[in-house]
Amino acid sequence: MQGHVLVVEDSELVASALSVLLESAGHRVSIAGSVAEALALSPAEPRSLVLLDLTLPDGDGLALVDPLRALRWNNVVALTGHDDPDTRARCISGGCVDVLVKPVPARELVSKVATWLG
Amino acid sequence: MSRVESITKPLAMTGTTTPEARVATLEAQLKEAIVEIAELRARDALKTQFLANISHDLRTPLTAVITHGEILRDGILGDLSPRQMESVRGIINGGRQLLNQVGEILTYARGAANQLTIVPTRFGIREVLDQISTLNAPLVKKKRLTLVIDAEPDLPPVMADREKIAHVLANLLGNAIEFTPTGGRVWVRASRASLEKSEQIASVLVEVGDTGVGIAAEHHDLIFREFAQVDATPSRPHHGTGLGLTIARKLVELHGGRIWVESELGSGSRFYFMVPFEQTD
Ligand SMILES: Nc1ncnc2c1ncn2[C@@H]1O[C@H](COP(=O)(O)OP(=O)(O)O)[C@@H](O)[C@H]1O
Ligand SMILES: [Mg+2]
Repeated sequence: MQGHVLVVEDSELVASALSVLLESAGHRVSIAGSVAEALALSPAEPRSLVLLDLTLPDGDGLALVDPLRALRWNNVVALTGHDDPDTRARCISGGCVDVLVKPVPARELVSKVATWLG
Repeated sequence: MSRVESITKPLAMTGTTTPEARVATLEAQLKEAIVEIAELRARDALKTQFLANISHDLRTPLTAVITHGEILRDGILGDLSPRQMESVRGIINGGRQLLNQVGEILTYARGAANQLTIVPTRFGIREVLDQISTLNAPLVKKKRLTLVIDAEPDLPPVMADREKIAHVLANLLGNAIEFTPTGGRVWVRASRASLEKSEQIASVLVEVGDTGVGIAAEHHDLIFREFAQVDATPSRPHHGTGLGLTIARKLVELHGGRIWVESELGSGSRFYFMVPFEQTD
């Protein structure tokens, strides 16, 4: 299933790798490099998903979960460099539907995104 | 003499005459030493934090390299010729190896800064042995080694941090494979034992053995120290961070267990670790 994926990620290198991957899979990709950029977004379309980095230059990515929900970005998946159990727990209790540790193998990410977009 | 040497070397008593004067000199030197030690500790902690930060930050560009490599490998942008495929696989494998090494440095730095915590769950040690042996199967095959996994029947499940126990096993088995020449034998055995502290504590004992190059007795302590390798010359045949055993020891000790080695040069090695079945406190 194709849809709109919002990549919230401060590293341009990682964001561009993800957009090449997801656009090739047929999704529309938007990128926000900071909390502020993500908050300036328009409301989500019906089939949409957020891939959320946790450490952003202007704050904690998890603080975005609720404001993004208000913009109907309901499907938020944490995509983080931290692979410790504390981070995982923090993401789940913060409202993320799943937690992935970077780098997620390309094929795995594509198939997971398709599943979440349902 | 540097200030550090003046702390560790016996104090010189030249030029002092009265006992009071000597005491005064010693007290002054002691004060200086205390200040110096505090400074060194603070600097050491800073370096450890730097190591943790830098190794975490290195993961970001590596993620981009690996993801782009996988996009090409998986034909997402079109099919590759066999030679292009070989080259792209090289990029991915190099990137993954670097990522592992960076991960080891990060784990080491977190351990040194006491930022590692144990998250215990109940699991069968046998499952972890099987998982690690599956992961290592390609290497075992490539070196034409024989790998035997053996767990005592009816071994009760342990309450421990599964990922960390798997990490210890991966490091020990990785070394056993690495330091055993082609055609040799490597084994992993798990059995019941009791850890002696103030009282006997029911524990699981894991042995990771090999018929490889072995380790001389004088190096048995050294190899558990950070960055230590028996052959650390730049031309050494083996490249690693020298952190594998330091991390293994840290993770075992976080579980209230212990780790040791029995080996002689030329007659293989047997690494052992023991972890209590139950985590108290
Ligand atoms: N199974 C083994 N057989 C022989 N030598 C070993 C074995 N395991 C570890 N060593 C020695 O201990 C050193 C430290 O090991 P480790 O801490 O895992 O670091 P690294 O593998 O990166 O060198 C190795 O460089 C090697 O000299
Ligand atoms: Mg090693």
